[in-house]
Amino acid sequence: MLEDNPFFVLGLPTDTSRIELEREAQKLLGMLELGFVEAKTYQTPLGPRSRTPELVRAAVAALRDPYRRLIAELWARHAPPAAPVEATAGAPEPSHNGLRRALGWGV
Amino acid sequence: MYALPVILLGRLHRYAIDARRKNRTWHYFAWSAVAALIATILFALGTAVVALFVYVKLWWLAGLVAGVLVLPIVGPTLVRHLLVPLGAYRLAYYLGWASRPGKDPTAYGLVAAAWALTTRPTGTGEVWVTRKRDVRIPLGDAEVITTALLAAARGDLATARLLMRSVLMMVEDHPMVRELAGEWVACDAVERGAWSELADDATCARWPATPLTYFLEGVAARRLGAPNAPSARELWARWLLAPKRRITAELREAAIPPPPTRSSASEAQGSEPIDAAPPEHAPLPRAIAAHLAFSSGSASELSLGTTVRAWDAALSDGATHSWLARRALELDAPLGAVDRALREVAAIVTAELARIADAAQLGSPASHGPIGDALGRRLRHGRLDSLEAGFTRWQQRRHDGEHHAAIDEWREFIALQSAYLAAVSAGGTDLRRLAFPHAYSTGTSMAAWLWNARSEYALSHAISKWLLDEALAVGDAEAIELGHRNVGLYVPTRNDK
Repeated sequence: MLEDNPFFVLGLPTDTSRIELEREAQKLLGMLELGFVEAKTYQTPLGPRSRTPELVRAAVAALRDPYRRLIAELWARHAPPAAPVEATAGAPEPSHNGLRRALGWGV
Repeated sequence: MYALPVILLGRLHRYAIDARRKNRTWHYFAWSAVAALIATILFALGTAVVALFVYVKLWWLAGLVAGVLVLPIVGPTLVRHLLVPLGAYRLAYYLGWASRPGKDPTAYGLVAAAWALTTRPTGTGEVWVTRKRDVRIPLGDAEVITTALLAAARGDLATARLLMRSVLMMVEDHPMVRELAGEWVACDAVERGAWSELADDATCARWPATPLTYFLEGVAARRLGAPNAPSARELWARWLLAPKRRITAELREAAIPPPPTRSSASEAQGSEPIDAAPPEHAPLPRAIAAHLAFSSGSASELSLGTTVRAWDAALSDGATHSWLARRALELDAPLGAVDRALREVAAIVTAELARIADAAQLGSPASHGPIGDALGRRLRHGRLDSLEAGFTRWQQRRHDGEHHAAIDEWREFIALQSAYLAAVSAGGTDLRRLAFPHAYSTGTSMAAWLWNARSEYALSHAISKWLLDEALAVGDAEAIELGHRNVGLYVPTRNDK
């Protein structure tokens, strides 16, 4: 759906042509083979995920099928961009872990 | 002649404690003061008499007087401040029994022993307390609370919570034991930050309040900005009355000055993480954004409703259909790809939302569309099936001739009741009407069996009472009539002795 969406796995926009998809997949496979750090993760709206050669091959295979590409486009095109992690505003709520024990009620 | 004032003072002390348990106003402080004063007088008298007998070397009489006069006053204090921290469960049991708090002192002894085990749990101790519990037939509130504390000692807090709350359904009521259960529930709620739960317990006065519970309830009320929250001065008074003041001072400080009262509107906004997409966005991006926020944040009825409505709007939107049709043409997708894609997306979304809603026990939102309808069906059928299977399994155990301890029957019932309540609160009145007949037939049969064959009166009464409440909720006339007859039966308890 979103986590393993082929467009996110390949790191390409939804309007990419089929030739460009194939080229990018080959490039990523090569980079993964050589152990490039920047190729080992990809961005999704749920946060970064780790990229493997199997995922890349599955992504490019999915995008060769027009119907599966249609579904992948529907999700990837309309998904929000990956949001940066924001610091929580204000002081954090003090934790009461261990309070039950401190008050005499157990482990 | 000389014993008369002592007996009177003892009675008055018990009366003051009982009166304090029933109050959550300034009377609480007044009765606490009266109880403390009488306790001091009794203790002084008792120790003086003991000292006199020791002086004249009547040791046996000194021991007897100490047991009769001093132990009931200092027993609960010694249990709380000495034996429980030491994990001395055997001593806690016997001292709890010797302090004679009411007509059934063993109940308090049993709970005191289990309480001591929560601080230093041991296998031997658990076996010992379980044996003491199992010889007490029929099952009552003390046995359930003991089991809850044993579960807590093992680290199974969810079971402990469920068992503690189940006691509220039982007709047998040992105030000394219930106030300990209430204190555990309050401390547990504070640890989890469940302030609303604690404040609700206080408002409904579900448990008799110990000084610590009374203080924690005050903290909860102030943190929530409740209208009945105690003033800063009253909270200080509650804090002074409660034990463990060094530890609870932090809670008092956090509740004074009170946090600004949050209006329900602002609270709703605060807990609403859903509308992540700007309002100018088209329905599909809004739906995906809502879905992402729902699945990655804390699931609530509100966020589920917003997500389902967003999806229903997106999948019924003409713009979504047009975009899909255009892209299907451009990609040379097979015939019927648009409808198939819409069905596939609906199935994926429904499955994921149902999974999260089931885990969080959320109800089906009132939205009609491809997602709302499918989700409602899925949640209703899944929950109904699992409920029926659970109740059938429970009844089957009886027909199979399996003999389970009363506490196991009770645990099975409260697990089913909890699943039932979660399902009906999520599925609404329709699901409640569908689920009730099966629960009723199984529950009535089990209640009758427990009463007639097992003499488990309190347990049977609790099941009948719950069935009557449900019958009233769904309006089943026959069940209401039978329920009234069953609940009206006299239930013998240990407190009657």
